[in-house]
Amino acid sequence: MLSTRLLTKRYGSLTAVEDLDLEVGTGELFGFLGPNGAGKTTTIKMLVGLLRPTSGSARVAGVDIMAEPERAKARIGYVPDAATLYDKLSAREFLEFSGDLYHVERRLRDRRIEALLKLFDLHERGNDFLSGYSRGMRQKVSLAAALLHDPQVLFLDEPTVGLDPHSARQMKDILQDFCKEGKTVFFSTHILEIAERMCTRLAIINRGRLVAMGSLQELRHMVGQDGQSLEQIFLELTGSREEDVSAVLRGLEG
Amino acid sequence: MASRDNPIGRVVAGLDVGLLLWRAQLQMFLNQTLRSRKPGRIAGTIVSAAVIVVAWSWEAFITWLGVQASHRSPIQIDTVHLLSLAFLGYTGVLIFSSLVFSLNALLLNPDLDLLLASPLPVESVLAGRMVVQVLRLLLLSLVFTLPALLVLAIANHNFAIPLVFAALYLLYPVSIVVIISLVSLLLVRFIPVGRGREVVTIFGVVLALGINLLNFLFNPALRDPGFARRGGPPSLPDVPAASATWLPSGWAGRSGAAILRGDWSVAAEWALVLLAVSAAIFLAGTMLSGRLYLAGWIQAVPPRRRRPAGARTRGISGALPLLSPLLASIVIKDWRMRTRDLAQLVRFVMPVVFIFVIFGLRFGGLRSAVQTLGDGPAAAMVGLVPAWILLFSLSISLGLTAVSLEGKSMWVYAVSPNTTLRFLQGKCWSAALPTAFLVAIVAIAAEILIRPGWLWAAAAILLAVAQAVTVTTLMVGIGAVFARFDWTDARRMLSPVGVVIGIALFGMITGGSALLLAIALALASATGFSTFTTWLAAMTLAVGGAVVVAVLGVLIGNERLRSLELG
Repeated sequence: MLSTRLLTKRYGSLTAVEDLDLEVGTGELFGFLGPNGAGKTTTIKMLVGLLRPTSGSARVAGVDIMAEPERAKARIGYVPDAATLYDKLSAREFLEFSGDLYHVERRLRDRRIEALLKLFDLHERGNDFLSGYSRGMRQKVSLAAALLHDPQVLFLDEPTVGLDPHSARQMKDILQDFCKEGKTVFFSTHILEIAERMCTRLAIINRGRLVAMGSLQELRHMVGQDGQSLEQIFLELTGSREEDVSAVLRGLEG
Repeated sequence: MASRDNPIGRVVAGLDVGLLLWRAQLQMFLNQTLRSRKPGRIAGTIVSAAVIVVAWSWEAFITWLGVQASHRSPIQIDTVHLLSLAFLGYTGVLIFSSLVFSLNALLLNPDLDLLLASPLPVESVLAGRMVVQVLRLLLLSLVFTLPALLVLAIANHNFAIPLVFAALYLLYPVSIVVIISLVSLLLVRFIPVGRGREVVTIFGVVLALGINLLNFLFNPALRDPGFARRGGPPSLPDVPAASATWLPSGWAGRSGAAILRGDWSVAAEWALVLLAVSAAIFLAGTMLSGRLYLAGWIQAVPPRRRRPAGARTRGISGALPLLSPLLASIVIKDWRMRTRDLAQLVRFVMPVVFIFVIFGLRFGGLRSAVQTLGDGPAAAMVGLVPAWILLFSLSISLGLTAVSLEGKSMWVYAVSPNTTLRFLQGKCWSAALPTAFLVAIVAIAAEILIRPGWLWAAAAILLAVAQAVTVTTLMVGIGAVFARFDWTDARRMLSPVGVVIGIALFGMITGGSALLLAIALALASATGFSTFTTWLAAMTLAVGGAVVVAVLGVLIGNERLRSLELG
């Protein structure tokens, strides 16, 4: 469903992502992990067509995103980390606009909008301007817009940021149901607990390079210790700086 | 250093904060311009600096001419009254700009929270904001008048002139800035949460309209019929109270006039009065603003909820005839954004209001002037002047901003399965439809008023509508080339380079069209061809040429959007 081959993105002398090879299958809920600035958002933006790779290739839902961007985008849903939406549109108007952008037939679009607003508990406030929405509510609107055209692959960048526990749980259920329909979810997160519980497979990226990929069990084998939590595996693979932090904090006290 | 527990200490800390903020703003300015490492921005800064230098040279030259003329034929001018009037007029600008600045600082700038969270007294933070405003006004005053002051200093062999005026520029705004800051603190209580931008925009509009209306009402050149009073002596608006000894404008005027005639002691005397009163007001205002803030006046009223779904009637159905759902969706979305966001609405409505201010207030005189033109193409073309001015404003305000309007929400379109050309098509429709509609209305109104003959009137209206569509399309293309998506303030949607290129191309299309039509008329009279047919051919050529330029503009804009990366 999704594959990248030697995917690279450079900004001048800075290499944000280097030689990334990923394989994600149909029906997978794939977690993409990494420390801040590791290249997660850059990778997702390349996969949804917002950034052009410096080199390498990527296929999403069987379509080369660089060669046929419009065809690939029709099969993709995307939820950015900080969704900037049109403040002066209501949620319902924004979803209508989104549906038209993805060429969803009007009656089907309206039916889906009502269903999604109800699903995300936004029905009561569907006519309020988005400027009055909290970050979590915006995130929900953004996810509703991404689901509206029934995509085959859903990309989510830090989807649980700003969501209350109830909404986070709701999102988790929705994503799992989505995968059960034979579709694929590719999401980045900092919350390792969520990744550990939800994902069928994981990839860890550090300083733009893929350091590990596989199921949780495969990652445990990779670091050589069974029974380790994802957090321990993550810290081991990306390098813990606990000692440095303690030293700096002690220095500040003086 | 004075303790921060007493009022003087808090004011001194406020001065420190003000200077700190000023330094930060200067650093931000330098980082965004000369230190940006972006050739375009550096070039833009250099060009802007060059423009200022040219304007300064021109101002210095005009002042020098004035000085020479006054030496040859001295005229009696009441300098005290003249300068007092200038300072009084400046007060109006100070009131409006301070209101906008203060509301901006209280409602919109995120740094206020940062400053209030620091271990500084509230009074010092608010005083710091006032210091920044005063310094900004000082800088602006110097930018506008420094060359004239330097020429006067050289001509009078008195180098204290710029220094005394700089001191007056620094002291005079203090009391007004303080009073307006206090008023703003009272006002914010009544402003709904999230409506700060709208309120600030309204004050900006009131400022623009106020200045224009005052100009029309008090400017002697515009006050009398015929725009000029040839032969009559030059007159100034007479506000006797301006130079009263109980008004700060009178003190500043006296001090300035005294230093111009070389009277040091009188200049210092009135400047000291201004200094004492400004310092007292600053001290009292600082303490009072802190009290007001701490008393909870900053709490704004919550926003009203919109009516629930069932009770709402929907304005636009989501479909437009002749347009595909995608294009209609872009047009409707843009219309909603422009009419619901006051900052955008102002861009849209202001040109229409200014057309009314310019032409409506002089309606009687203009009507009698144009009705003497009689029938024919000349009268029909004169009727297009207001429509053309409106087209100029709207094509810039709607066309050039059409693509940038998306701002940070551009990703919504960028991840959708549509080409950038389709997006630009939608943007052309969204800008051209309202522009052509309003231009047509103004053109029809003008042609009905002038009555150049129905055939000429119809042809002129057709020309106006066709050029409205093509010119706006061209502006959309230019707007795409120079699109900005990272703005948070609607004023930053326009790229200065894009505006310059847009204006230049608008001028070329206007000039080219006028030239073609003039040639057509000359050709018709020389050869005996039908004037209307020749004129129609010229019109077709003019519109055709504009269409070619517009298509090129859109294609170049499309190339820019195709290479766009939203990182």
